[in-house]
Amino acid sequence: MDHSVTLRDRLRIERSVWALDQRLYDLPRRSRIATRREVRQNLLTAAHDVGATEALHHLGNSRQLAAEYRSAEFGDQARPAWMAAALFLLTGQLVLTSLLSEAAQAFGDGIVAASPNATGTFSWHGIPYLQDAVRYTVSNGERTSVGGAWTPLAWIIWIAATILVGRLWRVVSIRRRREVR
Amino acid sequence: MPSTHDPQLLKGVLSLLLLQLLSERESYGYEVVQRLHEIGLIDVFEGTVYPALTRLEREGRVTARLATSNAGPARKYYRPTAAGYEALTSGTASWLALVAIVDSVLDRPIPTEPIKGS
Repeated sequence: MDHSVTLRDRLRIERSVWALDQRLYDLPRRSRIATRREVRQNLLTAAHDVGATEALHHLGNSRQLAAEYRSAEFGDQARPAWMAAALFLLTGQLVLTSLLSEAAQAFGDGIVAASPNATGTFSWHGIPYLQDAVRYTVSNGERTSVGGAWTPLAWIIWIAATILVGRLWRVVSIRRRREVR
Repeated sequence: MPSTHDPQLLKGVLSLLLLQLLSERESYGYEVVQRLHEIGLIDVFEGTVYPALTRLEREGRVTARLATSNAGPARKYYRPTAAGYEALTSGTASWLALVAIVDSVLDRPIPTEPIKGS
């Protein structure tokens, strides 16, 4: 042990441990903490021995290492991608809801722009079957609106797409294998 | 640094090597890597060994204990369990049987040209 570990080395080691930890999100919390501690400890020992640069180089790519750890924890069978599923659902909801809100807003603006003193009820149907109509009630240019929610069919499509993106059907085969054991 | 072995060949016997080394002396991850280097496997790196130890632990073939260290956080020392010793015994027998068969074929002289098939 003849290499001194500087603050910069410690930071590089922490960065590497953090990068690995981020890729181990689906490990049970206990395993994740244990892995983090063990890798950090081994890296520190290696850094004292051969220097931080060499120690980090020998540890290898964090993506590959995380894949090895996940495989060690869960076995080699295909697993669901929970993060991809969650990301798809949240991002998809956010983007489409924003777009459709803007479109509905533009429709409402259009009513008032066409007739500043308009009075009556106007509907924007959005995406047929997937979205409830947005109803604008306009009185002397002042407007209020209701509707625009996703229909049950839209939610079924959202859920099906989320299952496809995250390959969530794999949960069933993993459970079956556990029961067989 | 030239490779001392085919990684695919080693992958199948790495767990046996780890069990054997740990049966001789309990060690922590980095120490195991150093011991592998000492026996000549100089291009087996930490990124291969640490997950292999985790796998052995998950399979119940090794058990681990934390021991305080002067050089930073506590070290995780591994040693084989009863199941690990069983796996080592049967795995070693399988490996040696395979090596004997493979050796008997590979020890033959390499012909300059294969015999033509009829």
